[in-house]
Amino acid sequence: MMNRIAEADGMRRGGAERRDVLTDFVRKIHVNRSVGQMAALLVAAFAIFTILRPAVFLGSYNLQVIALAAPEIGILAIAMMVTMLSGGIDLSVVSIANASAITISMTYTAVSSRAGVELANSLALPLVLLGLVVGVAAGAINGLLIAKVGITPILATLGTMQLFNGLELVVTGGRTLYGAPAGLSTLGTTTFLGVPAIFLILVVVAVAIGVLLDRISLGFRIRYQGANAEASRFSGISSTRTLLATYTIVGLLGGIAGVVFLSRNPSASADYGASYTLLVIVIAVLGGTNPYGGRATVLGVVLATLCLQVVASGFTAMRLSSQQYAMAQGVILIGAMVLDYLRGRGSSR
Amino acid sequence: MDISPAPRPVLELRDIVKTYGGVHALDTVSFTLLPGEVHCLAGENGSGKSTLIKIISGVETPDSGVIVVGGERHASMTPASAIAAGVQVIYQDFSLFPNLSVAENIAMPRQRAVGGRFYSARAARPIAQGIVDELGLALDLDADVAALSVADKQLTAICRALVSDAQIIIMDEPTTALTGAEVTALFALVRRLQSRGVSLIFVSHKLDEVLRVSQRLTVLRNGTWVATGAAGDYDRDAIAGLMTGKDIDTSRVVSAVPADAAIALEVKGLGRPGAFADVDLVVRCGEIVGLTGLLGSGRGEIAEAIFGVRPATTGTIAVGGHPVRIQSIPDAVAAGIGYVPEDRLTQGLFLDDSIADNVVAASVTAFAGRARLLDRARMLAFIQSVASRLRIKAPNLSLAVRSLSGGNAQRVVLAKWLMTNPKVLLLNGPTVGVDVGSKSEILEILRTQASAGMGVVVISDDIPELYSACHRVLIVQGGRIVCELAGDAVRVETIEQRIAA
Repeated sequence: MMNRIAEADGMRRGGAERRDVLTDFVRKIHVNRSVGQMAALLVAAFAIFTILRPAVFLGSYNLQVIALAAPEIGILAIAMMVTMLSGGIDLSVVSIANASAITISMTYTAVSSRAGVELANSLALPLVLLGLVVGVAAGAINGLLIAKVGITPILATLGTMQLFNGLELVVTGGRTLYGAPAGLSTLGTTTFLGVPAIFLILVVVAVAIGVLLDRISLGFRIRYQGANAEASRFSGISSTRTLLATYTIVGLLGGIAGVVFLSRNPSASADYGASYTLLVIVIAVLGGTNPYGGRATVLGVVLATLCLQVVASGFTAMRLSSQQYAMAQGVILIGAMVLDYLRGRGSSR
Repeated sequence: MDISPAPRPVLELRDIVKTYGGVHALDTVSFTLLPGEVHCLAGENGSGKSTLIKIISGVETPDSGVIVVGGERHASMTPASAIAAGVQVIYQDFSLFPNLSVAENIAMPRQRAVGGRFYSARAARPIAQGIVDELGLALDLDADVAALSVADKQLTAICRALVSDAQIIIMDEPTTALTGAEVTALFALVRRLQSRGVSLIFVSHKLDEVLRVSQRLTVLRNGTWVATGAAGDYDRDAIAGLMTGKDIDTSRVVSAVPADAAIALEVKGLGRPGAFADVDLVVRCGEIVGLTGLLGSGRGEIAEAIFGVRPATTGTIAVGGHPVRIQSIPDAVAAGIGYVPEDRLTQGLFLDDSIADNVVAASVTAFAGRARLLDRARMLAFIQSVASRLRIKAPNLSLAVRSLSGGNAQRVVLAKWLMTNPKVLLLNGPTVGVDVGSKSEILEILRTQASAGMGVVVISDDIPELYSACHRVLIVQGGRIVCELAGDAVRVETIEQRIAA
């Protein structure tokens, strides 16, 4: 974040030796490497599938599918990235999203069966807010366990993941619930200039988190916390407040993802997106997030999301199975890490 | 300055070159160690001392050069071949197992080395007892290492080295945490080891002490060999001159502080059970107060309590005349206290982040403007002004702090606190790992800050530095301030005597 500020400083001191300018330039590429790498990978994947199956892949249906499937995964991946930036992880974020969706769906169904469908539909906005409140509350529970009680994030959120998921199973009886405010379904089918509205939700979330990390002191504190928790403490930054805020915000993002679930499909269940948790970890890391904390970009994560969506729909276009897609995810992740290692070996020291 | 070695050296390094990413850590350095000698290796941080030791002990591989140990030529060593050749390094932290007993710690490496896959508690005891008796030490073999004093831990590490048939023992800063009596005991043991034919390399910045036992001395500067000679031919100033390549001003420069100057920090009856008790401390605006004592005396704990790291349980603290309650670090920062920690690398800096990010770490919140958005232009202006005021030397502020020298990195930590405009600045070991040139510049920064009205507390075991900069020096022993030196009483010898008393 500050690099961008400081770059201006570097330029202003124009008298710096050429070699310094050069090493600085190399360093900048290094910093933005993951973003560049993901952009290149995205273009490459797009090109490959376009060549292999131009008719299917470039069809507007296929592009719509990508733009509709990407937002929920993208928002969850951004949430995962924020926790990783702080040096933690949130395994419960998908359960939080489901909790939000289930709460909205159940309340909607309850209202519409007692007071009529019209009233229930007119309550779309309050219902969405209710879902977001559920997300915030669940995130705050994670935050309390991690920041106040001091449980390691991976264990705390593993626990709450099981807890939230169990509660959801009990409440829904393990069934898939049908029913969501009509407004949400409308949202899911609306497009602006061909771009689905829910894709714009992803864009808004990405910009908001970008502003948080770049322009708000909390964002700086989250990053300091992840870069070196000890130095952060010795700089007078309260890890309790920082982590509480981090996980609460991530809970909110989970709640938003739940709303997107319902917009795409007016149904909710406890086991929706069962494979998402690991997928969004993969995306966050592919997008350049340092799993040890302190380093991440929103742009990188968004590009990684799109990249994997392109691969997914490309595999569908090629009639390959979801198992083969899962393997491709693994290959891409390991490939990116190996590339990182090779490049790091060449340039470090 | 070449000494013609009459006896064959036990260790000889010829023309060692080691580069890290194009930077010469060692540039054609040669070094010889004679049988039964104590050889002092002196040099500033970054002079190549630690790289040389790593090459001897096989941790690092030289780019070129030859290592001759016990008559055998090697292009490089591995840790295993170094140990097999009788090389043992005793690091500052001793690398002991705190949860095992003294006997187990001493015998463990020997039992591993002879190829035993199974550890035998019964066999451990006689091995350990043998060496302890042989050296005439009073070590409790059954004590847990965690419970030992620093001096006893050091003895355990020495015994462990000898059990592995050490011919060459390298000791890194062996006297830093020892009392005067313990240093004397250590040196007596060193002479006994010499008489057994063991050669020792001492790496130390406490040159006075080390020269007492060393026969020869080698000085490195910026990765190159500068001098080797008989220890008796040099005094401290001569060595410091060789280490830095320039004359260093160690004279005392303190500004006059009026007796009625406002009080920046007042501490009364501060205590925390098991750490320190009854600490009274007054620091006036414009004053630099030194706090010293042996490692483990409680000097650092007092500073950490004032900064809220581990808060005191009794006593009061007032900053600028206002009583403050300090239960956490944010409390202390809000009260106007800054703290430059001893462990700069882990507690002071975000190594992979830019200089700018590091400098602003303690003060980001202050730059929040409308809608809580940070005013980046103002932020950068502040960062730049502080960085140039402290003369942080870097091509630009987006450089990662990891790439800075010790002196520059410490300036970054200082800058971080000056950004908060503190009333009181506590510094724990402000010049540890900083080269002599930067050292006097850092002290000059502290003088400037004090003159501008800040109260400064320096916690340090670098006595010439305390002498050079402090108006008063307080000496901590067993968690209490036992002595206060002011004015003409602040002298290097006096401080040394009182600390070791």
